[in-house]
Amino acid sequence: MQLIVNGENLKLQDGLTINGLLKEKDVKTPDMVSVELNGQILRRSEFETTELKEGDNVEFLYFMGGGK
Amino acid sequence: MKPETLSIHSGFTGDKVTNATVVPIYQTVSYNHRTAEQLADIFEGKAGGYIYSRIANPTTTALENRLAELEEGIGCIATSSGMAAISAVATGLLETGTEILSARDIFGGTASLFKNTLARFGIKTRFVDAGKTKEFAENINDNTRFVFVETIGNPGMTVPDIPAVAEIAHNANIPLVVDNTVTTPAVFKPGRFGADIVIHSTSKFINGHGTAIGGAIIDTGNYDWSSGVFEDIKRLAGTVRQLAFLSYLRNTIYRDLGGCPAPMNSFLMLQGLETLFFRMTKHCRNAARLAQFLHKHPKIRRINYPGLKTSRFFERTMRLFEGGGGALLTFGLGDKQKAFRFIDSLKLAKNAANLGDAKTLIIHPGSTIFQEFSAEQKQEMGITEDMVRVSVGIEDFEDIKEDFNQAISKTFEV
Repeated sequence: MQLIVNGENLKLQDGLTINGLLKEKDVKTPDMVSVELNGQILRRSEFETTELKEGDNVEFLYFMGGGK
Repeated sequence: MKPETLSIHSGFTGDKVTNATVVPIYQTVSYNHRTAEQLADIFEGKAGGYIYSRIANPTTTALENRLAELEEGIGCIATSSGMAAISAVATGLLETGTEILSARDIFGGTASLFKNTLARFGIKTRFVDAGKTKEFAENINDNTRFVFVETIGNPGMTVPDIPAVAEIAHNANIPLVVDNTVTTPAVFKPGRFGADIVIHSTSKFINGHGTAIGGAIIDTGNYDWSSGVFEDIKRLAGTVRQLAFLSYLRNTIYRDLGGCPAPMNSFLMLQGLETLFFRMTKHCRNAARLAQFLHKHPKIRRINYPGLKTSRFFERTMRLFEGGGGALLTFGLGDKQKAFRFIDSLKLAKNAANLGDAKTLIIHPGSTIFQEFSAEQKQEMGITEDMVRVSVGIEDFEDIKEDFNQAISKTFEV
């Protein structure tokens, strides 16, 4: 399936969950990332159960930065 | 997963090095990064990672994630105390010339912050009777930046109609800030009823054992920061969207004022959360039984507990709260001397300036938490000289009842 992840078009396997995508993208600190799916922040307890669909737009957001 | 399960399991994906089952205490100030570029990316917000424990710490992150889950919010910032949480929210949303619209019946520390400390910086607070919803509508104006209520006003036991107050705030395009300390997400989830920001003093029921001071700020995701009246936050909404408010706090107010929790305290709050639902059920049940007992006692006056049918907030309490009217109640003993004698006569209940402990606690609010307020102000807040406040613990109810019964007898025997 085709997804937009952080503004980039990616082809990924069907049935991928948010947790699967975090592994796929090698996110080092999954406890720190906030995930926005089609404009809505997901609850962390939904990371394991939410399956991505064709055309989904996913953003990894961090509000933990120190210097801005 | 259901909330009771989340209170035990959420917020931490595990220590991949040791596989520890409990969230470890990361007692560290800073974090080593392999390359200079890595650290620069984290500073820029391009990647996740820890920099300095005043900004974020892994033990505290686990607590923040778990609290966000339990409040069904989009994110959380844990603070060094409940007052640090309220101070950060207030300084994040206000500037000179703006106003707060607040319930009058609130914790003395919060009232003092609004009335005295923030007033020094040109911020005005209008206090209204939180039981009367129309007073909020009558006192909101173009300068109001947020509306503030406690779920059950302490010590007046006022229960605001939170859905109606939220509607008033939203009609003025400003957020509703709700202090959920005395109810906790086990009894009430303010976000479901329109609250935009939830505040906690985690020192109370969340900690549950009186072992650490802490606080928390949760954004429920209800307020649209991209169209609000907060210019700095609105700008951030362009990059981090729904997280604009928390990002603004984390990277300015929270960072600059320095109200971060110690990792050890975050650990103690996580431990407390694991039994929160279990404890709240018992707290509420014991409080309801004690309220019934005191209500029937001929020597006791004005028992005030929102879960009691005689309370003017009984219907609202039953409509909003799951499992009862919380663990706090107040009552009168006739005069200050008798109130003091009653407190001194208790053997099991502790005379302490805290609430939400597993132990039953009692205090005379007029001479302690509200000492700094004038007689007139105390009257307005519903605090009388003969009044005591009880935070009902989770001991066996028969032991609590026996303790109160013998103290009432001693108080009135002379």
